[in-house]
Amino acid sequence: MSGLLEITNLTAGYGRIDVLHDLTMTIGAHGNVGLFGPNGHGKTTLLRAISGLVKARSGSIRFGGADIANQTPRSIVGLGLVHSSQGNRLFPDLTIGECLALGAYTPRARAQEEANRERALKIFPKLGERWNQKVRTLSGGERQMVSIGTALMSNPAMLILDEPTLGLAPKVKEELCRAVLDISAGGIPLVVVEQDVEFLLELSQHLYLVNHGQVAAEIKPGQTMGHADIMALYFGQ
Amino acid sequence: MDAALQILFGGLFQGSLFAMMAVGLALIWTTIGVFNFSHGVMMMLGAYVAWQLSAWSIPLFIVLPATMLIMAGVGWLLQASVVRPLIGRPNIVLVVVITTLAAASLVENGVLEIWGPRSKQLPTLIEGNTQILGVGVSMHQIAIILITPVILGALWLFLNRTRLGLALRAVAQNEDASLLVGLNVTALYGLAFAIAAALAALAGIFMGGYRFMSPVMGADPLLKALIVVVFGGLSSISGPIFAAYLIGFFEAICSYYFGLYWTPALLFAVLILMLMIKPEGLFGAKTRGLA
Ligand SMILES: Nc1ncnc2c1ncn2[C@@H]1O[C@H](COP(=O)(O)OP(=O)(O)OP(=O)(O)O)[C@@H](O)[C@H]1O
Ligand SMILES: [Mg+2]
Repeated sequence: MSGLLEITNLTAGYGRIDVLHDLTMTIGAHGNVGLFGPNGHGKTTLLRAISGLVKARSGSIRFGGADIANQTPRSIVGLGLVHSSQGNRLFPDLTIGECLALGAYTPRARAQEEANRERALKIFPKLGERWNQKVRTLSGGERQMVSIGTALMSNPAMLILDEPTLGLAPKVKEELCRAVLDISAGGIPLVVVEQDVEFLLELSQHLYLVNHGQVAAEIKPGQTMGHADIMALYFGQ
Repeated sequence: MDAALQILFGGLFQGSLFAMMAVGLALIWTTIGVFNFSHGVMMMLGAYVAWQLSAWSIPLFIVLPATMLIMAGVGWLLQASVVRPLIGRPNIVLVVVITTLAAASLVENGVLEIWGPRSKQLPTLIEGNTQILGVGVSMHQIAIILITPVILGALWLFLNRTRLGLALRAVAQNEDASLLVGLNVTALYGLAFAIAAALAALAGIFMGGYRFMSPVMGADPLLKALIVVVFGGLSSISGPIFAAYLIGFFEAICSYYFGLYWTPALLFAVLILMLMIKPEGLFGAKTRGLA
């Protein structure tokens, strides 16, 4: 099915250690997907395996019908599966404008560069004001905006955001949450890892709890799930 | 007046050669984060390839681009064989020093084997001599002084005004982020080596036109290029370019007033002094990155 990201029995890890064990998950069938779970249990590893930065040792990953497991990151982003990574340092010595231009590197993105730039600047007007400023001199919040803005330049058919509000002060965090909701409202399906469960509940109808490299719980649309229930899941009943 | 003119020409001429060598070294450092100790033999091999093509009586205006193209391929191969397999290792800087030195000695002996020890000379870019305000200069030197800024300017424009150049500048700064925007990281590494080798080859052709060639002719230019990039700072290619001309003039002044014998010692003294005062290089920032 088009637009669907299907992960089946995925095992992946670093060195001799497996982080993900036989993980199965379907993304895109019920709107945005939120991933949550304790620190160090494999959320980032899962996203990195999806975008080709970490090898899939077994299992399959299919995006819009195509098998993308162990494809190069370049061909995966070329399909429109775009990843804004956790704590992205980006390119410290490039300017914001140069970063965004790099975002439109794939042929698929280059064709839409104008429109995507307009969209990114509409969501993050600050980027336009700081167009020629070097990334290394930006604040954490601004850097996060560049990271997501660069991802938008890659013309995403599906956008992966790994902890977009990590370590941000409440006011900036609020700003970024609103931006992410805007992006979603613009019609781009999202996969978001977040510690802030409230935000995750607002953004997505479909949630997975990732624990010990596996799906420990799945919440589908229709299943009402409050903050208290999630916390119960988190810490075990 | 005579002295000033001689220093001016000497400085511009030496500076051109240094710059042509140094930018390649800086380009490889800024994109891949390794030092290429084969850079000197790339220059030498370029001169020999050009000599061979000329010996087959191919005209110079074809020999020049053909040699640069061939050497770009050699640079790419060099990268693929002794650098790419090591990428990702924590001690890559040191390991690549050793592998590129090994490759250099291999190429040096190969050249000796193929073309023999007898010294050779390349045709000059433009024949003859001329008088400028009473000072005699060869047309070859004038050609080098004029061609170099054009080539370096083109390189600067390529790096700063094209998307491929932007990718080359970006790839060293964050490999994961580069992969995630869809850059072909291995191809960019190859490209950096290809450009560096082509520029070194051009420097080799410059040099082979006014000095005898030998399989070890690249050793001194490599050392000079190292000095230039340390002096100019590695944060950009404009730093080494300025430094190259600065050192060119410094050498021209020293050798005019103190003689060739004292020039290297004085140069090193200045270099050490500068490193104590500004370790990141004269024009350098404290990080790696290209612009
Ligand atoms: N490059 C790496 N090399 C080796 N081990 C790694 C690497 N990156 C992550 N790990 C390990 O993999 C495990 C899962 O890490 P991962 O980053 O996927 O967790 P996470 O769920 O995203 O955590 P967080 O919420 O803190 O971001 C951890 O034990 C971590 O130490
Ligand atoms: Mg993480």
